[in-house]
Amino acid sequence: MKKICRAGMIAFILGSSVPAMAQGPKPESSLNNPLALTLVVIITALALIIGLLAVVVYGAAEVELKKQQSQKSNTGAVLTILALLIATTAGAQGSAPATTAAVSDNVGGLSSSTYYILMVVLVVEIAAIFFLLFQLRFLLGAAKAKVTQADKTEEAAVEYKPAKPQLNWWDKFNKFRPVEKEADIDLGHNYDGIRELDNRLPPWWLYGFYFTIIFAAVYLYRAHVSHAAPSSAEEYKIAVASAEAQLAERLKDQKNRVDENTVVLVTDKTELDKGKTVFMSNCKVCHGALGQGIVGPNLTDDYWIHGGNIKDLFKTIKYGYPEKGMQSWKEQLSPVEIADVASYIKSLRGTNPPGAKEKQGELYVENGGSTPADSTGAAKADSTKAAK
Amino acid sequence: MQLEKFYYDNKIVRSFAYATVLWGVVGMLAGLWVAVEFYFPGATLNYPGTTFGRLRPIHTNAVIFAFVGNCIFTGVYYSLQRLCKARMFSDLLSKIHFWGWQTIIVLAAATLFFGITTGKEYAELEWPIDILITLIWVVFGINMFGTIIKRRESHIYVAIWFYIATWITVAMLHIVNSIEIPVNLFKSYSWYAGVQDALVQWWYGHNAVAFFLTTPILGLMYYFLPKAANRPVYSYRLSIIHFWALIFIYIWAGPHHLLYTALPDWAQSLGVVFSVMLIAPSWGGMLNGLFTLRGAWDKVREDPVLKFFVVAVTCYGMSTFEGPMLSLKNVNAIAHFTDWIIGHVHIGGLGWNGFMAFGMLYFLIPKLFNTPLYSKKLATNHFWLGTIGIVLYAIPMYWAGFTQSLMWKQFTEEGSLQYPFLETVTQIIPMYITRSIGGALYLVGVFFMVYNLYKTVKQGSFIGDEAAEAAPLEKAKSHAKEYWHRVIERRPMQMLVLSLIVVLIGGLIELIPTFLVKSNIPTIASVKPYTPLELQGRDIYIREGCYTCHSQMIRPFRDEVKRYGEYSKAGEFVYDHPFQWGSKRTGPDLAREGGKNPDSWHFLHMFDPRQTSDKSIMPRYPWLYQNDLDVSTTPGKIRAMQTLGVPYEKGYDQIANNDLATQAKTIADGLKTDSKVKQLMTIEGIGNPEKKEIVALIAYLQRIGKDIKAERKSTNVQASLK
Repeated sequence: MKKICRAGMIAFILGSSVPAMAQGPKPESSLNNPLALTLVVIITALALIIGLLAVVVYGAAEVELKKQQSQKSNTGAVLTILALLIATTAGAQGSAPATTAAVSDNVGGLSSSTYYILMVVLVVEIAAIFFLLFQLRFLLGAAKAKVTQADKTEEAAVEYKPAKPQLNWWDKFNKFRPVEKEADIDLGHNYDGIRELDNRLPPWWLYGFYFTIIFAAVYLYRAHVSHAAPSSAEEYKIAVASAEAQLAERLKDQKNRVDENTVVLVTDKTELDKGKTVFMSNCKVCHGALGQGIVGPNLTDDYWIHGGNIKDLFKTIKYGYPEKGMQSWKEQLSPVEIADVASYIKSLRGTNPPGAKEKQGELYVENGGSTPADSTGAAKADSTKAAK
Repeated sequence: MQLEKFYYDNKIVRSFAYATVLWGVVGMLAGLWVAVEFYFPGATLNYPGTTFGRLRPIHTNAVIFAFVGNCIFTGVYYSLQRLCKARMFSDLLSKIHFWGWQTIIVLAAATLFFGITTGKEYAELEWPIDILITLIWVVFGINMFGTIIKRRESHIYVAIWFYIATWITVAMLHIVNSIEIPVNLFKSYSWYAGVQDALVQWWYGHNAVAFFLTTPILGLMYYFLPKAANRPVYSYRLSIIHFWALIFIYIWAGPHHLLYTALPDWAQSLGVVFSVMLIAPSWGGMLNGLFTLRGAWDKVREDPVLKFFVVAVTCYGMSTFEGPMLSLKNVNAIAHFTDWIIGHVHIGGLGWNGFMAFGMLYFLIPKLFNTPLYSKKLATNHFWLGTIGIVLYAIPMYWAGFTQSLMWKQFTEEGSLQYPFLETVTQIIPMYITRSIGGALYLVGVFFMVYNLYKTVKQGSFIGDEAAEAAPLEKAKSHAKEYWHRVIERRPMQMLVLSLIVVLIGGLIELIPTFLVKSNIPTIASVKPYTPLELQGRDIYIREGCYTCHSQMIRPFRDEVKRYGEYSKAGEFVYDHPFQWGSKRTGPDLAREGGKNPDSWHFLHMFDPRQTSDKSIMPRYPWLYQNDLDVSTTPGKIRAMQTLGVPYEKGYDQIANNDLATQAKTIADGLKTDSKVKQLMTIEGIGNPEKKEIVALIAYLQRIGKDIKAERKSTNVQASLK
């Protein structure tokens, strides 16, 4: 195996993991998407596994190489770092097109291009893991063969006996010095009986440290010099723009467009159930679970502060009367949801819940001209009539 | 060379060790109590001192400063003497240190119980206690450096480097973060406001983790782990590199607690990248600990002390990897304000700090009493109970955090939020229950330890003054060829100065521009100082520890803007001494609470949250309806604010209470028009609500985040409607 090969391999591995990290500064709408999140988390985890495996393979390969070549590995290290640099910048650029990807087709709420990019990264990562595992097995197999061979000669047997063959890569991985040989690196310090060895820094630790420093430089460059990564405020704008585009798309459908002038009372069970869900989520805090009124007025009687017509209700919910404690819901609820909840509230008329609040506002009589009724059945019939 | 005979002071070590055990039990009991309050709101007993808002600071202060603090001192007083081959510099200073620290703890518990707090997390103690802490810390420093200087060992060992860095950095952090202007003996306002206060606070808060919960414990690890394993430290050069890198990088990472907040973006980015770079230096410590056990793993199977150390160091590695991951903005967007963070800190707290403390105690007590440990088996059982406890604690918290965060962010097809806030809370109640079981198991383990140590003490005989001998320190010869770091190791004072310089860099680069560069905090003309009543209400908000559950920081996310309103801007907090952004959302964000709900709703809600919000886990605050608002403090508070640069008119302190009374009357009159409120007032016999604390609190809540809306209205009506 050639050094350049190894460096290239590591570059490739890192190249595949860096776009995954680049998902970070690019959350836009996908940030809110559980699927994207899960994928990114899996990708990151896999990238970590790959990184770890790569170092292990690298270490194992180095052991193997040392046996084959006597050349020093300095150039290798330099190449590795170079490759790392290239990989990071490549990753940084590579993520740019993803940001501008079209928002049209959806896969689980993700734009299809984002989805496929993530999936490709995943597949590549899994392939890389298999590739590395294969390499590792190969190298370990080679080491094992060497050990069994060495066992035959007597001196080698003495040298290898205490350490199990599997430990070999771990030892090399960390540049461990065999425990029996630690006297060579004993510094002769003695602090209350504590001695100190001078083991070399574990290479993977050191290169990991370098990597984080390079990551830091690239991160700061992208965030504050090239502005390739959006700021927090920009991320927000992107997310809102994409959500608004989706909503605009929805509103093209006539039935999603309803306002205080066009709203009509609905009695359809599914719509009323939707209205009930909205009510339970948002309204019951002030009006009570049964509409009996807590700090907000009773919604089951015939007395209304801001009008009892379905259009009045819609308007009250939509714009609110903030000075009187009723907030505006047009930011929280869609027009259809407001219409549903207004209809649901109308359906509560005459239910006489326990603990109902006393009447507030003015008596409202439905267009049909019926008088306030205590009978639920009658009230319902009236409202239906009023709905035209 | 004639050997000198001297005695190690074991009495002070014993005192600190006992205090460690005592405060450990107290702190963890408080923790268990607050954990139960999550699913059983009645556990507050409707008593002010036992609500989450007050008990949580008691828990955090007790476990951090009382339990871990005493644990640090135990280890330092034991190891320092032996590493320096000298008795402590002064027995008197040792005693002052011990009793001083215990006094601080008792004062802290008492004041927090009564709601006397600055409202800054992990720095809640009021100014007289802050001063006392500074004094005692100086006593500790003199005692420590005195010992180091009269040492009989030419070089100082890596454990002592960590002690030195700890001492100087904690001193710096504590003093800078605690600068406050007193109103009276029990009340002060932070010198800093809003964004600046947040930055200073989290620079402090993060480095309290770094320099109170990490570096001193690493020092202890470097002494007790090789001692217990009887193995040489793995790598001296790793010690050097990870020590200096750790203290240099740690100090920069504070802003990662403020990602996506109103803190300037450049500071947030620094927080991110330095957190990422922190992985390697942190792991350097873990590796040096674990690799020291090479060749001693057979002992780990036998020895409970080593078992505790191994899991502690592993937990350290886990949480110092997780921390940087949580600092990445996209992960932080999910995890921040959720229970994920609680899980994260408890891996560190229960695993790293707790287990290091237990391992050390199991090692030390038998040594001090010259006897083997009473029962290894019991200690091993403690180990397993504790480990299972940690797992049962952490996993539900991760689960809860992730679940709740995803629920917060879930939109319906219609583009509205899928879940009301309360539903995201009730969803994770089972996780809260499991968490408290984990915590309870951990605590049972601690009781095992208390019994085991008690029996050990009973069966042994205490060696108060342990004899030792060593040659006196020789005058330094020329060490021309010595490794450069060995030179520093002979000069503790240089090491102190060097450490200070290293930790100053990051702090200064982050703090100074935030204070001096105007563009970092763009001003908003419509943001006005609080009225006197609102100011008093804000102090009640702080007193009750509302910030422990409610954030006041809307991040620029689509879901948060939808749920809470326009995202928070730096200019909105310029009069907030101290800032109240919070770090956890057990309840919803309150940054734009003003005007959201009517006064009457707040009145009913605070009296019994479950009346207005079924299944709410918020405690009741009935005493706010009984206590009269103490208006005698108003002039002093206004004057203090004026000193801090809040633009109240000159002489306003004298008339402030008139405005206060008028505003209270208006609110009270409004409240009386609501029938439900009137009903409650009659039942509870509240005759003059305008005098009660609740009205001040309502005034404050109705003010939060409103100023910016006024600005919008004046500039652009359309925009205000958006």
